[in-house]
Amino acid sequence: MDITSQRTDGALIVSAEGRVDGANARKFQKAVENVIGDGDSAVVLDMESLSYISSAGLRSILLIAKGLQKRNSKFAVCSLQGPIREVFRIVGFDKIVSIYDSQGDAVKALGG
Amino acid sequence: MATVSTSIRMQPDAKELDTVFEEVHEFANKADLPEGLVFQLKLILEELALNVINYGNKGGTEPIEIRLAAQGETIVVEISDVGQPFDPLKDAPAPDLELSLEERPIGGLGLYLVKTMVDEMHYRWEDGRNHLTLITRVLA
Repeated sequence: MDITSQRTDGALIVSAEGRVDGANARKFQKAVENVIGDGDSAVVLDMESLSYISSAGLRSILLIAKGLQKRNSKFAVCSLQGPIREVFRIVGFDKIVSIYDSQGDAVKALGG
Repeated sequence: MATVSTSIRMQPDAKELDTVFEEVHEFANKADLPEGLVFQLKLILEELALNVINYGNKGGTEPIEIRLAAQGETIVVEISDVGQPFDPLKDAPAPDLELSLEERPIGGLGLYLVKTMVDEMHYRWEDGRNHLTLITRVLA
């Protein structure tokens, strides 16, 4: 699991690569939280290069989303691979987290 | 019809997932399973194994026994452990998916995911072990 980040058009983009499972989910969460600055009012988690996620990873994303909501920052995920999108749907995350097909769509919706 | 099967003995440590996932890939290649099913098998094994490691047999050192078998379109997953008796069919409540982000509790999603991903799930307690058998079918 690797994460990289950049700021574009008023949004912080965090890209995750590899897999987020029970062995590294906490590390993943900490890494994402560490790149979010006090001034970031919109955060997009780009999952295009994420190949696998389990409930441990979903737990991390839920905690990140809750944390951002508490400080009134916007949060969205984008570019989910087929099976990951299906997992999000099964656990109802599509009802509590904004999901976009592409990074561009997510930034357009959140940033600016 | 030929059966492709593999047995995995997993030490009770989340770090062992790497090894288990490698075995799943090898099994999937031999049985010629589609990519989506590989994802499912990994998820099923992780959720069930971590449930044993984090709750059912926390701190235990006995390995978790896993068997995967593919015959035609039917995939059978068997997993057994020496933890406390735990029947995921009865002892794990379904999450409330209608709650808001603020209200959603942390956790409780793993076994729910497993249940939605298999066609059949059978539990028995025998010889001091939990035995769980899951059956899923490959969609042509």
